[in-house]
Amino acid sequence: MERKFATVIDKLKFQVNMEVAKQAFEGTLDERRDEIPYMVIPGNKPQYRCCVYREREIIRQRVRLAEGRMPVSDGNPKNIVQVIPAACEGCPISRFTVSENCQMCMAKKCESACKFGAISFSNGQAHIDPAKCKECGQCMKACPYNAIVDRMRPCKRACPVDAITMDEDGLAVIDENKCISCGQCVIGCPFGAISDRSFLVDVINLIRSGAKVYAMVAPAVEGQFGADVSVGMLREAVKDLGFEDMFEVSLGADFVSKNEALELEEKMKAGEKMTTSCCPAFVNMIKKHFPQVLDKMSTTISPMQATARLIKAMYPDAICVFIGPCIAKKSEVIDSVTFEGADYALTYQELLAMFDAKEIDPSAYKGEMQQGSRYGKNYSVSGGVTASVLRTYEERNVDLPVKVCKANGALECKKALMLLKVGRLPEDFIEGMACEGGCVSGPAMLEKSPKSMKDRKHQIDQADGRDIITNVDQYEAYHVDMHRK
Amino acid sequence: MVITICIGSSCHLKGSRNIIQRLESRIKEKKLDDKIELNGSFCTGQCAKGVCVKIDDELFSVSPETVDSFFDNEVLRRLD
Repeated sequence: MERKFATVIDKLKFQVNMEVAKQAFEGTLDERRDEIPYMVIPGNKPQYRCCVYREREIIRQRVRLAEGRMPVSDGNPKNIVQVIPAACEGCPISRFTVSENCQMCMAKKCESACKFGAISFSNGQAHIDPAKCKECGQCMKACPYNAIVDRMRPCKRACPVDAITMDEDGLAVIDENKCISCGQCVIGCPFGAISDRSFLVDVINLIRSGAKVYAMVAPAVEGQFGADVSVGMLREAVKDLGFEDMFEVSLGADFVSKNEALELEEKMKAGEKMTTSCCPAFVNMIKKHFPQVLDKMSTTISPMQATARLIKAMYPDAICVFIGPCIAKKSEVIDSVTFEGADYALTYQELLAMFDAKEIDPSAYKGEMQQGSRYGKNYSVSGGVTASVLRTYEERNVDLPVKVCKANGALECKKALMLLKVGRLPEDFIEGMACEGGCVSGPAMLEKSPKSMKDRKHQIDQADGRDIITNVDQYEAYHVDMHRK
Repeated sequence: MVITICIGSSCHLKGSRNIIQRLESRIKEKKLDDKIELNGSFCTGQCAKGVCVKIDDELFSVSPETVDSFFDNEVLRRLD
């Protein structure tokens, strides 16, 4: 199947995942693991790098990530997001450089602004010695002609929490104590040198063992596997992969809306503020960077966990696998092993690799299903969680004027949490989503084009307009506990 | 103390989820929630020794049958 990808990096990542999935399904991964770099990079002519040997080494390190391992060492740190050392160019770009806009002026304010003696002049033109430059940016601020430009590394610029530094060789290093697994550096690096570890092989092994593995697709799914591929069609395709069945996480989202609304009501009566808890990168941001406001985070579990707990209440032997556009969900799975909720998390990219490995085309299937309300389906869009929570008040005829801070993207989340921390947030409720636009802009989406968003809307418009609360209440008998442990 | 339990497929089939539940309930029973953090981890590549459980950086092989003695002998002893 010939597929189109936004970048060659996406294509290579897909090819690696697909080959790993194929060998895992056939049970030949151990024997054929070493052949994968040659399958992905055939021939002797390099296409992307200096030589094929480096290209293949990068693929070898990517195979390890696809197997959930560290790219090089056998150590096992927790972080999902990892630098692929062979792929990191160590961006030789010095962060601050003098452009041709330098007017060779007399004042030379750049020179006096630099505390490290990094600026010298030849023929009147300023130069920055990269070995002495500490990247403080003072020279850039000092130049009256804006002649000094900031060429910050793309990975570092992409990171909203300043978790990326470099080692003595200039290779990127991720600080695990700061990283929130949002995946922005993964999509930000133009060399594809940062990627996420995968549970792909674990899930395939469990399917092959005959265990009952359930897929749970995140609410951003409509339109991702083809313009006309509905969740109903996807469910049948997913079952052909060997999953027992597929659930919509938008159903779990409805559970969350109902519960979080009750929680917010109580908090507001007590004169307290509250944040959402469904976006795992936002939750990581609170835990790692704003622990002072942790008590203000909703204690309601995420839609992923709600869906998994419901499935486990129905089928106690179930192994529940979340599949979404999100890298941070993998960290949520690892951090919440005591929740008795989701067991694994995969991405849409990884599901596509599984389909191609088994030569399954979701558009060839027939099927209809709807488990979540339209509100639940829109959890994946910035503002969607708030709309759902407020909708439940309407459904219950409760009049609660909530002032909402819609924090759209990691930078807005940071700002809102900062205000909350110092007690200056004017609103009552923060909806935090680390990806700008919501999960539909997530780092592991297959399609983010305006056309695919139109396809998505078209599909959701066809869903019925069921109420959130009545949708949840039909599962009352399963007594799903909606609180964190 | 951080206890890390491998959640890879091999350890899963050998009962890692049961071990997590059992450790969680023993921790609650002894009121050690503040002292012990339970975490999951990717496969550590030592599947033959599974279920792989680490106390900080030290690796132990635990099964659903031995989880109680592991908790009494290894975990509690290190907290004294």
